[in-house]
Amino acid sequence: MAPGMASSAGFATKTIAGEGRMSRKKHHRVEEGRAYWAMVLPAFLIYVLVMAFPIILSVVLSVSNYDGGKMFGGDPWGFAGLRSYAQVFSDPLFWNALKNNVYIVLISVLGQLPLGFIFAYIIYRKLVKWPGFWQGVLYIPNILSVIVVGLLWQTIFSPNGPIAEFMNTMARAGFQSKLETVFSGVGGFNITDDLVRKILNLAGPAASQWFTDPVPELKDLILSYQGSPHALLINDLCNLFVQKWSPEFLSKPDLAMLPVLFVILWMYTGMYLILFLANMQKIDTQIIEAARIDGATEWQVMRFIIVPALSGTIVNSAILAISGSLSSFALIFAMTGGGPSRVTEILSIYMYNNAFLGRPNLPLANAISLIMVLVSFALIAGTKALEKRYGGKEE
Amino acid sequence: MKKLLIAMLVISMAVAGGFAQEKVTLSVMNYQQADQAGYAEDVAIWQKFQQDNPDITLNIEVLFNEPYHQKLQAYAAAGTMPDVFYVWPGARSAVVHEKKLAKDLNKLLGAAYLKDFSAAATNPANQLGKYMAMLPQSFTYSSVMYVNKKLLADNGFALPKSYADLKKMVPKLKAKGVAVAMLPNKDAWPMQSCLFSTVVGRMAGDAFMDAIVAGKARFTDKPFVSALEVIANMYKDGILSREDVQVGYGEAAGMFASGKAAIYIDGDWRVSSYITDKASGKALISPEAQESDYVLLPLVSIPGEKNPGVVSAVAGTGWAVSASIPAGSAKELAAAKLIKYLYSPEVQAIRFGTGAYVPTRKGVEAVVDPLVAKVPLFYADNPKTCYVIDGVLDPAVYNVLNDGLVAIGFGTKAPAVVAAEVQKAYQNWKAAKK
Repeated sequence: MAPGMASSAGFATKTIAGEGRMSRKKHHRVEEGRAYWAMVLPAFLIYVLVMAFPIILSVVLSVSNYDGGKMFGGDPWGFAGLRSYAQVFSDPLFWNALKNNVYIVLISVLGQLPLGFIFAYIIYRKLVKWPGFWQGVLYIPNILSVIVVGLLWQTIFSPNGPIAEFMNTMARAGFQSKLETVFSGVGGFNITDDLVRKILNLAGPAASQWFTDPVPELKDLILSYQGSPHALLINDLCNLFVQKWSPEFLSKPDLAMLPVLFVILWMYTGMYLILFLANMQKIDTQIIEAARIDGATEWQVMRFIIVPALSGTIVNSAILAISGSLSSFALIFAMTGGGPSRVTEILSIYMYNNAFLGRPNLPLANAISLIMVLVSFALIAGTKALEKRYGGKEE
Repeated sequence: MKKLLIAMLVISMAVAGGFAQEKVTLSVMNYQQADQAGYAEDVAIWQKFQQDNPDITLNIEVLFNEPYHQKLQAYAAAGTMPDVFYVWPGARSAVVHEKKLAKDLNKLLGAAYLKDFSAAATNPANQLGKYMAMLPQSFTYSSVMYVNKKLLADNGFALPKSYADLKKMVPKLKAKGVAVAMLPNKDAWPMQSCLFSTVVGRMAGDAFMDAIVAGKARFTDKPFVSALEVIANMYKDGILSREDVQVGYGEAAGMFASGKAAIYIDGDWRVSSYITDKASGKALISPEAQESDYVLLPLVSIPGEKNPGVVSAVAGTGWAVSASIPAGSAKELAAAKLIKYLYSPEVQAIRFGTGAYVPTRKGVEAVVDPLVAKVPLFYADNPKTCYVIDGVLDPAVYNVLNDGLVAIGFGTKAPAVVAAEVQKAYQNWKAAKK
């Protein structure tokens, strides 16, 4: 075979071999591509259907004029600009709900975390007897159903609940003793206009509005008890004038959240206690013992050993607390439903009310939910910045 | 011969097919709660239909309260409305009426069938969409004073006729630890629906509300503010107790039965709370006491009223048929059959007997507890009605009013402030509708 031929044939052979390799490579790539899509596609489709599509639909709805009915294929609906966002920002109820959410974030970060940390430290350092018992007691609220907890506290704060009962008993006892003093001053059943005026003064101005002509009418009423036991008169006057305790402060926007915040503090502090305690138990006890031998006080041990060792846990707990605060719904919904007069509404309840109650307004509800997402992003960015500065020191 | 045999076979198959019963499945959304009076009877009603109609299969989905409305909204958005569903005549089921998701029952059931129902029930004007999307089972009076006549008599009082009569009762009844009138308002809607609507009807009238809806009058106008002032005065004068603003709607019926108040203000539907439970034979108020000690009265006359004696009333709930069912189909026939069964004299008599409502179907009779029997008499004695506000206004507006009435109850907002807030909500709603 001529060298040229051989060369030519060799080239041809090489070319064929190269093409074969290329073809195999290409085939490989196609196969790999198929395998890749076969494995990724189901998850990708699920993601698109379950996560991406609702998010995109939420964004689209928030800038639409959709007003109910069949969403696809029904009455046409279109772009309405940022009308729903403008409506949200001009609604005082939105700002009230946002303020309430901020309160919850604050009570979580500045209440639950420090308290959880202190309780964990006390239990860890065995500064109380039966630390296991206290650990259980403090953690129990956390394992109860939020609905049960909500209804429980709703009953406690209700006008017929134990707090009201206690307050009514106290108010009644106080008024009764004042009445006795007034009656003992006149002696016997000597009902004068002056005595009636004294009783009306005791009762306060609101009580006078119940009468058309207070002095003679109350006098007649008291005189109708002539011959009846004195105790019955006192009892009935207490019924008449002692203002029943009612959690009226719940109607005041600045005070209404107090019981809710208290319950949130009561319920979730135990969770952080467990988190901190578990991490404290990882700290080498010899370090603490050495510090104590060197004369460190409990405060110094906590300040210079425990807190630095748990800084990462503290930051992570803060992230948990913030995200939990923004997504809270069930507890407050069960406890107050956002009432009375919507003063205890938080963003999630505000959104729910717009999305589902009365005539649903889905563009508005979706605008609210997207604003909630943006608020979450802002807070998470803030905590990430904190984490960058203080986190990562955990051993 | 062969051809003849084939022809006979074809004909016999066609005839057999024609006579064979076509099995139809209807999806139904029922509004039902297991702890409601009459639950067992209601379940039996559905079971009987299924037994009597083996050719119709019912896929019944049962929900109650907000979850019901939410699911119906979801079905509406998905365009998959159930074939037969429970619906409100007003804004509560706005999407059904406005998007015409239900068939016109006037056409489906026909005039001959509907003539057996009261004129108010079959008047399309009483429904939001101004067509007969549903057939109201009842015409509900939303404002009734349940009066404990015996308790009043024991304290030397006759049945009240005027606001002054109520005010006169305050010192003596309060001294006995009894509230003059009870209206629980923790849920915010009862005050608006069960008292304020009637007060607005008395002080301003339906024409004024029509003018408001048309944008020709304002909530801040004197008649509306005066109506709010009546409510504020009822709290200030001790007729209503401020602590009742924190009492849940479900708690009050029992409190009234136990003598905590001389008068209980609620809708006529509340009678169902006092009927005898057939299973236990117990009742919150015994039938004997219902007969002798309790009466149903309209709201007393109030100072400054222009329309004496009117009481707020609204078409009640009822059944609707999905508009997506093809006309003339077997499914439509089955749905019509189910609707006619649900509104039949027999079923309506059972519902009347359980105190669920007084039927709009004429001539329905049932053995009922005395308090239930007093409801039709109340209707007859008080024929002049006015709007229930939440049946006229959009939720975006009446929810603000409801919250304002709660604030008036607490004494934290003045009537004029609430009126201004409602006006603002109305303007915002109007602007959003453009």
